[in-house]
Amino acid sequence: MRKKSPWIYVPFWIVISFLTLFPIYWLFVISVKPAVDLFTTPDILLTSFYWDNYTEVLNDRLLRSYMVNSLIISSGNAVLCTTLGFFACYALSRFNMSGKESIFFWTITNRMAPPAVFLLPLFLLMTQVYRFGDFTLLDTRIGMILVYCTFNLPFAIWTLRPTVDGIPRELDEAAYVDGASPWKVITEVVFPLCRPGLAVTLILTWVFAWNEYLLAATLTNFNARTLTTGLSEYVTTTGTEWGIMAAISIFTLIPALIVFGMVQKHIVAGLTFGAVKG
Amino acid sequence: MTGMETRTPTPLAAASLEEAETSVVPEGRSGFLPIETNWFDRLFISVVLWVALCLFWFRFIEPLGLSIWIANAIGVALAVILIRKG
Amino acid sequence: MQSNKLGWLFLAPTILVLFLFGVLPFIYVLWVSFHQWNPFAANPNMIFNWADNYRAVVFDAQFLASLGATVAFVFFAVVTEVIIGYFLAQAFMGDFPGKAFFRTIHTLPLIVAPIIVGSVWKLMTTPSIGIIPHLLDNWFGLNLNIGTSALAAFTVTVVMDVWHWTPLVTLTLIAALVSLPADPFEQAQIDGAGPRQIFWHITLPMIAPALVATVFIRLMDALRTVDEVLMLTGGGPGSATRYVGVHIFKEVFPRTNYGYGSAISVIVLYLTIVVCWMLYTGLLAPRKGKEG
Repeated sequence: MRKKSPWIYVPFWIVISFLTLFPIYWLFVISVKPAVDLFTTPDILLTSFYWDNYTEVLNDRLLRSYMVNSLIISSGNAVLCTTLGFFACYALSRFNMSGKESIFFWTITNRMAPPAVFLLPLFLLMTQVYRFGDFTLLDTRIGMILVYCTFNLPFAIWTLRPTVDGIPRELDEAAYVDGASPWKVITEVVFPLCRPGLAVTLILTWVFAWNEYLLAATLTNFNARTLTTGLSEYVTTTGTEWGIMAAISIFTLIPALIVFGMVQKHIVAGLTFGAVKG
Repeated sequence: MTGMETRTPTPLAAASLEEAETSVVPEGRSGFLPIETNWFDRLFISVVLWVALCLFWFRFIEPLGLSIWIANAIGVALAVILIRKG
Repeated sequence: MQSNKLGWLFLAPTILVLFLFGVLPFIYVLWVSFHQWNPFAANPNMIFNWADNYRAVVFDAQFLASLGATVAFVFFAVVTEVIIGYFLAQAFMGDFPGKAFFRTIHTLPLIVAPIIVGSVWKLMTTPSIGIIPHLLDNWFGLNLNIGTSALAAFTVTVVMDVWHWTPLVTLTLIAALVSLPADPFEQAQIDGAGPRQIFWHITLPMIAPALVATVFIRLMDALRTVDEVLMLTGGGPGSATRYVGVHIFKEVFPRTNYGYGSAISVIVLYLTIVVCWMLYTGLLAPRKGKEG
């Protein structure tokens, strides 16, 4: 709007970036300090690196299996939520079903529920009701994938709706006139146009599932335990093993960082997609 | 302004686009409530008001000796009025 | 158009999943909330006791205090996030070297797990080992102790939430600002409007839907915050930062008083839905009617 040298923004952004990055930097600082050093006077700058926390984490077989669980659960959940959300949004966008706005609001209410509220009923339902012979959903990956839908599916529907709404109906109708089946219209006309929005949704749901803690801590014991719960085990049971905890945190952060980096370019485009389409 | 409305960028705002098309569906109507509602909305509002009334009653009126059933009766009456005329 | 049956078919899996894992648990909580049930008490059976749990909840000073603390927390956090987020989004509208780079950095907090956010802020603010109290003491002579000062603990939780979620606000507002048409702004500048007038009369009304939607999503998530605060302060000192989610988790479940806990849960859910519904209908729906 105003004419100023573009460089005057840079110092401002450097300060903001410093503030933004500092907690993450501090996590790293803690992770490369031996436990004794934590209780000396804190110092902003790093003077030495101590990698034992990392080797200990890497050699812990339990944590490796937690990481695999986390990967499977969050990927499965992200794919499931994005797929279901996409179809739901298509239905909400293209059909004149009665009461669909109420349904839309109802799906969102599922995200409003404080997770602590549902811990007990979910635990009981998963052990007592949702069982097939000896198989219960408790402490299974598939169980966690389904449970995470309660907060991720509403989110997916919410972010995907403007994307699907933004695809002009005329395209669908033209395809129908040409004799395409609904399935074909969705997969070959709508889906390719929605890709940026779908990618952003996929990544964000993935990150949410990857980061979830409370439900995972309650609804898993051993087989489906995730990395975030592994993290908390170091905090609660053995007092303050901050170094190791920070190292695990860094390991938790890296996959999220990589995945997020892939979609970084699209994130605003994904959010504006419906708007740009008009 | 109308040109702008079609450019709503965020999820909820974009829902408003949709509403423009669905408002032709005859189920929504305007009663004495300030917004257009269908029967589900009115049921929802009734339940919300009923619960609020009951909680308020527990806190402030029941200690004075009036039974909670009065609150329930009022709540049900309110619900009937809302659903039929709202 | 195609028949609506097909539409319902597309919606069916979503409804099914949300029904099994969202609605049924809720119905169960509702049912339990009308019972006296403590599996580890002298009488472990469920006893139907009408609305006695609710009768007790409205007089529970601890719960009401936690509700008040939650409202304060959500208010300060969301307002700060929206203000900072707006200014940052506006700043991102300009062109400057390294814009994409700075934007990437600014979005990083979003992907940090809440539990990690809680731990790292705890590490930074715990007296004697944390860097922040240390620096504040060195530079300004301030004494920040989240272990004893309720105000300090409260402030730190708000700052933590602002750090964690402002990027989301910034992103959605960038998305809103990018899509604004240029004409009204040019016209206003020709007419000699100042930046403040432009903001109040043009920018704000035009981004209002996006702003409301952003507040809505932040409100929803701030009300259900548990992990971060649990990790950072554990609800202390005293009950200064025991927000409702933390309250349920810390106070109700360890005491295994499930009937009473369920009643609290139902009330929390009720309040959340009512607040969100009022915002949704009151601020978003009227817009539909007028402009459509």
